[in-house]
Amino acid sequence: MVRVTCSRWPRPQGWLDGTMLVLLEKLPADQALKFLHQVVDGICGRAYCRYQDYGSVWNLAEWMEVLEETTTFFKTTVGKNLSDEEAVQQLNELSSSYQEAITKCLKGRKEEIRHALVESISAISSAQLQDFDWQLKLALSSDKISMLQMPLLNLDLDVKENGEIKPVSVEMNKEELQNLINALEAANKVVLQLK
Amino acid sequence: MWQRACVLRGAQTPARQCPPGPPLQWGFIFLLSPFQSSVKLKLICGQVLKDLQGEGIDYEKILKLTSDAKFESGDVKATIAVLSFILSSAAKHSVDSDSLSSELQQLGLPKEHATGLCRSYEEKQSPLQDSLRTRSLRLNRLDSVSWRVDHTLSSSELQTVNEPLVHLKFTVRDGDRGVTEPFAMTVSAEKFRVLLAELRQAHAMMKTLS
Repeated sequence: MVRVTCSRWPRPQGWLDGTMLVLLEKLPADQALKFLHQVVDGICGRAYCRYQDYGSVWNLAEWMEVLEETTTFFKTTVGKNLSDEEAVQQLNELSSSYQEAITKCLKGRKEEIRHALVESISAISSAQLQDFDWQLKLALSSDKISMLQMPLLNLDLDVKENGEIKPVSVEMNKEELQNLINALEAANKVVLQLK
Repeated sequence: MWQRACVLRGAQTPARQCPPGPPLQWGFIFLLSPFQSSVKLKLICGQVLKDLQGEGIDYEKILKLTSDAKFESGDVKATIAVLSFILSSAAKHSVDSDSLSSELQQLGLPKEHATGLCRSYEEKQSPLQDSLRTRSLRLNRLDSVSWRVDHTLSSSELQTVNEPLVHLKFTVRDGDRGVTEPFAMTVSAEKFRVLLAELRQAHAMMKTLS
């Protein structure tokens, strides 16, 4: 069988003819579940699985392919909201123990994958808030006044745009923070109505 | 004599314990003495206090008020500078008006003048301190926030999304350059909830501080 190294689009070869993920069988069945969970960890933004752990199972080209295929399988199954039966249909070339491992992993982590997809959607066509940190400080004194005693909040926002993270830093006093919270509360009211 | 002015420099310690330092501008205190009436001095103080609070100063008025003291323009400038220094230093170190009055009298200012000056100071002490507080160094300030809530129906990644998506735009004023810069970003509903909860928590902690 000739296999083509897949790109993100079109869908990997074997997508509809049931030969999806046949490479997985190179991995001993008892390790399959662990590998699948590691792939899902990668989708959810945690540590990706490393080639050095599986170098004895697949060569580099196969590794790229199996990783891409597994990721695509999970993302598409959850993205299209396919039922377990429909998902398994794509895997009918695989032996049952592997199919079982995949369904088991999918069942357990469907919500998590969906959550990761929802997060990634917010990055489509705009900058996205990646992370934030804050720091509360009490300014004691300044060149203008010796007893300042002013609490200040530093808010650092990591904004991800085109794969690059741009830090935005804001310093607020109590009133300014209250204004920010008021604005966000108003938005939150609408968010809660939508849910 | 200048050492007594230490109260003005914030030392709460008796004058003789003051650390040695430059005699500052205390010589100028005598500039304030030639004023015929303490009322005029008080009016000038009013102008200087306005200036310190960022409301601007009326130089015409000051020139009129200083005309009978036969001041040259350099003397007028020095008068404004010394008043500005006395008043801002006193406010900076939260000196009460009685202490300020006695310090000024010990430096040689007639009692009537000192009382007038201190009365102006007393009236404006707290707004003056507020103004010093707000003029203290601040880094990037948040000028304004705009928001928009979208409801995402579907996407190439996920067929049925049905999740709210928050767009935020922060306008940040750069303290150094005085320019504002907008930062726009999207935040998923989940992350938005966490952000708001944490800011509320920080605000609650802030309230306990002041």
